[in-house]
Amino acid sequence: MARLVAFLSAQRGRARADWTDWVSYAYLLLGLLLMFGPVLWLVLSSFKSPAALNEFPPQLLPYGQKTVIVAGHEKPLPLFSATLPDGTTRELAEVRRIGIQATLVDPAAPEEEYKVNIRDRKPVRHFELATSNYTEVFGKFSFGTYLWNTVFITVIATLITLLFNAMAAFALSKYRFGGRDAVFVLIISTLMIPPTIILVPNFLVVSELGLLNSLWGVIWPAVATPTGVFLLRQYMLTIPDELLDAARMDHASEWRIFWRIVLPLSAPALAVLAIFSVMWRWNDFLWPLIVLSRSEKFTLQLALNAFQGELTTEWHYLLAMTVITLLPVTLVFAFLQRHITTGIASAGVK
Amino acid sequence: MASLRLQNVGKRYGATTVIHSIDLDVPDGEFVVFVGPSGCGKSTLLRMIAGLEDVTSGEVGIDGKRVNEISAAQRGLAMVFQSYALYPHMSVYQNLAFGLENLRTPRVEIDAKVQGAARMLRLDALLERRPTQLSGGQRQRVAIGRAIVRDPTIFLFDEPLSNLDAELRVQMRAEITALHKRLGTTMIYVTHDQVEAMTMADRIVVLRAGKVEQVGTPLELYNHPANRFVAGFIGSPQMNFLNGRVAGADAERIRVALDAMGSAAAEALPLRGASASPEQAVVLGIRPEHIGLGAATAPSLSLPAKIDRIEQLGASSFLYCTVGAGERLTVHVAGQVPHVSGETVTVTLPVADSHLFAATEGGAAFPRR
Repeated sequence: MARLVAFLSAQRGRARADWTDWVSYAYLLLGLLLMFGPVLWLVLSSFKSPAALNEFPPQLLPYGQKTVIVAGHEKPLPLFSATLPDGTTRELAEVRRIGIQATLVDPAAPEEEYKVNIRDRKPVRHFELATSNYTEVFGKFSFGTYLWNTVFITVIATLITLLFNAMAAFALSKYRFGGRDAVFVLIISTLMIPPTIILVPNFLVVSELGLLNSLWGVIWPAVATPTGVFLLRQYMLTIPDELLDAARMDHASEWRIFWRIVLPLSAPALAVLAIFSVMWRWNDFLWPLIVLSRSEKFTLQLALNAFQGELTTEWHYLLAMTVITLLPVTLVFAFLQRHITTGIASAGVK
Repeated sequence: MASLRLQNVGKRYGATTVIHSIDLDVPDGEFVVFVGPSGCGKSTLLRMIAGLEDVTSGEVGIDGKRVNEISAAQRGLAMVFQSYALYPHMSVYQNLAFGLENLRTPRVEIDAKVQGAARMLRLDALLERRPTQLSGGQRQRVAIGRAIVRDPTIFLFDEPLSNLDAELRVQMRAEITALHKRLGTTMIYVTHDQVEAMTMADRIVVLRAGKVEQVGTPLELYNHPANRFVAGFIGSPQMNFLNGRVAGADAERIRVALDAMGSAAAEALPLRGASASPEQAVVLGIRPEHIGLGAATAPSLSLPAKIDRIEQLGASSFLYCTVGAGERLTVHVAGQVPHVSGETVTVTLPVADSHLFAATEGGAAFPRR
């Protein structure tokens, strides 16, 4: 805690804050606002009731109208602060409303009814988290299926990506063979082709292989990434060849060298690629949208999209599910970000 | 335990030849040192023996069997690398056990062998450490231990001591020599340090530019260098070389006229002069420790030398002199000398310890009588 305070109050000048401190803090604050503001807005909004979401002007915090149980009424009644004709202001529960005329009762003495113009009453509001957004979303939609589909695609695609890219990178960094550089340039040059261009050919291939509406149809086209090969190759170049020679003298087969020496030593670069791959696959939208058309095969991103109906959008569920969808990637990133920075730095790529 | 035979072994990278057809026989149990300046191909030759580099021509044989096509993993050799090449992500124990695991040795046997090697190399207390937590000398011992556990037929060392400080180097030198005595395994050791070569080797192979210059025991190389390169490479400080020409020669002796003396020497060198022609340009070689000061006690060549610099170490003294028209001469004498720099003294070069080389590219030595 003390370290956090010291970190947050670090300044250039010894005694007094230098003007550069003010500028840097202002700049950082602006950055924080720009980056974190929308996320905060999203999270807060996901706890709002549908009514609070439609409110104008919008409120930052989720507020709900207070309700009271009144004897003789089944449902809780909304509470209003009403200005009565005699000029006094009292907290009353609304029984019904007809046109601009509201009928209110005192929760303590429900026998007596007051008739008030709706302009003379204001809702009594309090801070309230609409957690039902979250609890209901699980029951209402086959959330479990979408989550499972997404997790399956993410985990399997990441594992295959790591394995294939590491093998390609190993060959390209540690073996001398004719055409090695040509192969490498060819792989890298695919970075210059926008994915949208190969969307149709990819679709045709996947369709011919009968992988439409299969999770593998999402996984296979995504596992070979030029970025991954490049990142791992650059990192593996830094592993001394003498280590491999030593392993060869130790009777290790080439596969064993790869598995026991090169892979463990490439762990930082593998972590970077794993994080990238998890984020790519988790957030992937366009390709799954094309391949998966049956709702039981939907990923979370597709399900989110499906919430937006043609006529109505259930914003409160959509927002709640967006937050849930964000959580795993955020956690992965938060815990592994140290690996990302060190890994990227040591892999020599920006 | 194995013998090694190299026949016409050569190595080319494209148009560049780095190893020129080398022939060498290493009997079982011998400690052979490859020595030479950096870039002479000694490490490449070692890697070719290990199987880590392809052999372009010729044949590598272990125990009489051709192994050119056998991979490094299958040759049954062990190598200690200059950078130690310990697996940084494994503990010392795992480093030692890795080779045995690859051979599918039973766990119990692995444990026994690793513990045995660890005891021998005093690594018992370090087995759980990572290589980064070890000092240079400890890493070196782990690297050697990794070679020992597999009971290799031949040990290969690639400049294993060059990353250690001077004191540790002397200590490890003794340990490796002791190890060779105890195991009795054939060892091939590459170094650029002639002191290591002289102190450890049964036989030394002097290499230059991919060619073998001379093979022999340390003292053979010291006493009978085959050419000017070997003469200059073996021995510290380096042998002195003085230019001259042949004034007269027969089968028994050669009389030289050194440029620094101006006229033919009074004493002839006891060398076979059959191949020497009159007026042939030659180089006389004499080691600093064989040169005397003042009156000669044995047949010698005497000439005046001007002392440029003098280093008195107490037990011995080094005199850096100029003779004739600026030829350098280093003199190493026992004890302390009453001279100062700038003084001119008479130095005596005993003919029995003098070497004579042709002043040609190869600089072949005239053989002794």
